[in-house]
Amino acid sequence: MYTDICKLFHIQYPIFQGAMAWISDSSLVSAVSEAGGLGVLATGHLDGEQCRAEIRRIRENTDKPFAVNIMLLSPKTEELVQVVCEEHVPVVTTGAGNPGRFMPAFREAGVKVVPVIPSVALAKRMEKEGADAVIAEGCESGGHVGKTTTMALVPQVVDAVNIPVLAAGGIADGRGMAAARMLGASGVQIGTRFLVSRECTVHQNYKDRILKARDIDTVTTGQSTGHPVRVLKNALTREYERLEREGASAEQIEELGRGRLRMAVVDGNTDQGSVMSGQIAGMVTKEQTAGEIIEEIMKEYTELMSAPCV
Amino acid sequence: MVFEKIQEIIAEQLGRDVSEIQMDTNVEKDLEADSLDLFQIISDIEDEFEVSIEDTDGIQTVGDVVKLVEDAKK
Repeated sequence: MYTDICKLFHIQYPIFQGAMAWISDSSLVSAVSEAGGLGVLATGHLDGEQCRAEIRRIRENTDKPFAVNIMLLSPKTEELVQVVCEEHVPVVTTGAGNPGRFMPAFREAGVKVVPVIPSVALAKRMEKEGADAVIAEGCESGGHVGKTTTMALVPQVVDAVNIPVLAAGGIADGRGMAAARMLGASGVQIGTRFLVSRECTVHQNYKDRILKARDIDTVTTGQSTGHPVRVLKNALTREYERLEREGASAEQIEELGRGRLRMAVVDGNTDQGSVMSGQIAGMVTKEQTAGEIIEEIMKEYTELMSAPCV
Repeated sequence: MVFEKIQEIIAEQLGRDVSEIQMDTNVEKDLEADSLDLFQIISDIEDEFEVSIEDTDGIQTVGDVVKLVEDAKK
């Protein structure tokens, strides 16, 4: 039930805001949490003390629960884990790896752990290691993606584990949320739609690219490196395609990506920067406050779920 | 035998011939397994041997996997 997630995380609505590196900062996180969802702070670009400062800003803005996302491949993982535990952050979501070795520290600090997982085997492993819930993220999502779609992944993960499963990837309105519910999910995580919220501090050029995007405008780059990333097509993705066609090494391809997300998010260079976006961007067409977004999604969802079957 | 069974499990998951899978075979580089393949293989091995493999971070070769299973069975 969607209400299980609300009880578990002490939130009003079963909606997590997806962590987006450089993008989901204290401004967006506090707005989403204040509106009754769970804001998730991205830390991919932060060190421990910057993360602590952001956590404190969130607490100045809201007394509602929030989460911090830790990318486990980050060289700063250990200091971020330490800060999250010291600050007794209510929830941690993890990506890009196995949080197993940090579980005892999280437990001791009373931090709930919700790994983002792209496969059934990883979901089962996370459950065994004591995760409180998992986020099954399909490859419709923006940024780093797995291989399986939300539609196929979510019910398989739901069948495999006994902890709550949130669905992510391709969800941006009440219809997506109702569909996720039908697949057995206990909640949803939404990224791209919150990216265009008024409280999101991403460069306006980035928001404009999302708002104008069509259904066919995302591609995944870096397939050959084993770390595919979903982004909107631009001059940078054409360069990726050229390198991959020419059989460039994984190192050359990774090198091309260096600093590109910051270029798009902070500098607003959406031609040469990496404009990460989910496939649902084509449906995201207006800027609203985080509160309006959540309210609209819940209204659509509630209407759908109470509609008589025909 | 632990090795032979692990050979079979890896061969099945990656669509390889068992002869391609030796103790010194690098799972990622030689067999082109990605992290999702690796976790699927670990999950299948845990089920097969009824063991729990905790630390997967250091796995490089098939031999590393065999050693983890043998240690877990002790």
